[in-house]
Amino acid sequence: MSAASAREATPKLRFTAVAKEFVAPRTGKRTLAVTDVGLSIEAGEFVCVVGPSGCGKSTIMNLVAGLDAPTSGTITMDGRPIAGPGADRGVMFQDYALYPWLTVSQNIGFGLENGTPGRGLSRAERDARVRHFVELVRLKGAEDKFPHQLSGGMCQRVALARLLANGPDVLLMDEPLGALDAQTRLILQVELLRIWGETAPRAERKTAIFITHDIEEAVFLADRVVVMGTGPGRIRAILPIDLPRPREEGTRADPRFAALTKQVWELIRDDAYQAIG
Amino acid sequence: MGLSGFDHHDRAGSGALDAAAALRRQAPQRLRAALGSRPVAAVRSFVVVLGVWWGLSLWNANPIQLPAPPAVFAALANVASDGELLENAMISTGRLALSLVIAVAMAVPLGFWMGMSRRAHAYIDPVVEMLRPISGIAWIPLALFIFGVGDTLPVFIMTYVAFFPLLLNTIAGVRGVSRRLVQAAETMGVSRAAIVRRVIMPAALPSIVVGFRLAFAGAWAAIVAAELIGAPSGLGFAIEWYRQLLMTPKIFAYIMAIGFVGYVCDQLLQGLQRRLTPWTDRSRG
Ligand SMILES: Nc1ncnc2c1ncn2[C@@H]1O[C@H](COP(=O)(O)OP(=O)(O)OP(=O)(O)O)[C@@H](O)[C@H]1O
Ligand SMILES: [Mg+2]
Repeated sequence: MSAASAREATPKLRFTAVAKEFVAPRTGKRTLAVTDVGLSIEAGEFVCVVGPSGCGKSTIMNLVAGLDAPTSGTITMDGRPIAGPGADRGVMFQDYALYPWLTVSQNIGFGLENGTPGRGLSRAERDARVRHFVELVRLKGAEDKFPHQLSGGMCQRVALARLLANGPDVLLMDEPLGALDAQTRLILQVELLRIWGETAPRAERKTAIFITHDIEEAVFLADRVVVMGTGPGRIRAILPIDLPRPREEGTRADPRFAALTKQVWELIRDDAYQAIG
Repeated sequence: MGLSGFDHHDRAGSGALDAAAALRRQAPQRLRAALGSRPVAAVRSFVVVLGVWWGLSLWNANPIQLPAPPAVFAALANVASDGELLENAMISTGRLALSLVIAVAMAVPLGFWMGMSRRAHAYIDPVVEMLRPISGIAWIPLALFIFGVGDTLPVFIMTYVAFFPLLLNTIAGVRGVSRRLVQAAETMGVSRAAIVRRVIMPAALPSIVVGFRLAFAGAWAAIVAAELIGAPSGLGFAIEWYRQLLMTPKIFAYIMAIGFVGYVCDQLLQGLQRRLTPWTDRSRG
């Protein structure tokens, strides 16, 4: 009981006055990518981040992943500052980061084979896991192809399968479904919610940060939508999405769905127009 | 429209006649394709070279300087049939292989170290840059004092020549590894050592393989000079031997053998490259 309340007390992830400034190595030119980011994410929460291009979404994801350190402010996970990358926070990169010398299966199994996620699993268990996720992202038949033989959408699905196969506690996804056709996208949204733990009790769910450009996708998936703005990148608004779970096709017909979508769009519209000039 | 109408007409004809007609239509195309194919094109070039060579030798009329093709081919047949060509070729390729093995064993680990540590690079790179422009051949006289005439000298010279392209390509390969791919491994809990083995090594491999082909080409070009002066056997030695005997056709025979062995080795290396790094071969579906 006390453990449970302690868990509720410390959020899974907490950003306190986070800013990130990039300094170009030669010219010394400074770019303030994000500033003044304050946000708490509870364990088991699904948070979507939307915002115009260049507002610092990928930057924030890199900070949580531990691949970059904030210039000022702190990010804690379970109350401890993030010190570096680790398999507890799985990342799906915007540019996929697939290994060109490995086949689809080998890419999906890379973490299981070489990293901590595969510890304690037998060969057969690893193979079964890889096969499971190959089928989940509908890549059966392409297992032995190399990334350069795949379409963009197929590469994206390999990257997603690799993330999920590692089974991280925190899922960090940078536009994970952006290159997919509309149908595959809808199917994988539902699958993703299932893997995240939509039908499980809240305590068993993973924590997810999902970056997307698609407002409807954000509203469909999220517990909360974080709307970011540019110049410099900062959080403009945080919108709770109180649509019932599990979400399914019917969710999109809900009048509240349309209202929330409209609300998010209005929040980013000005920035979006500015971004395209 | 016109084409599809023709097709339709064609299909309506009787089967056997149709097939025969199709064959007749294809025949000139196939002939043209065969004439344009690689082996045929190569033969065509050889015929031209042979013609020019023969013409030149007639015009020059000095068989010590430039013998006619029949004399050279007779000499080639001669050295090939009594086994000395094969023996010398084996000796030279053996030295080549040994040099490449030594060069790889030294240059690749050093290249990884220099590629991954700025410090190591800062210390070693100036020395490398100073030695690199010095042709391997410049070391032959000095090597003669140290090693004398024998196997060691050509192996030393070829190792020296092969070392630099291997080193530089290894460094470039290691430095060129995408940061993103290393980061991805870090987020999957892969240890430092495993990242070197599973990410940096394969990512640098294409560049190292290219370095190996350059190293081979350089070493093979240097072997003649090294054996010419510093070895009692091998293809280069044979050239020098027959020069002293004024037997130009046999010199030519050995020159052709050097070209041929080099060509065959490079083809083998290209095959190896396709096998080792299939993902860099974008033309294959
Ligand atoms: N390594 C870096 N060095 C310098 N500036 C950077 C670096 N990475 C990002 N930036 C800058 O930080 C800002 C935010 O970049 P970021 O990649 O986080 O945007 P984003 O929101 O992910 O955009 P998109 O939707 O296009 O992916 C941009 O202005 C970008 O130019
Ligand atoms: Mg981005």
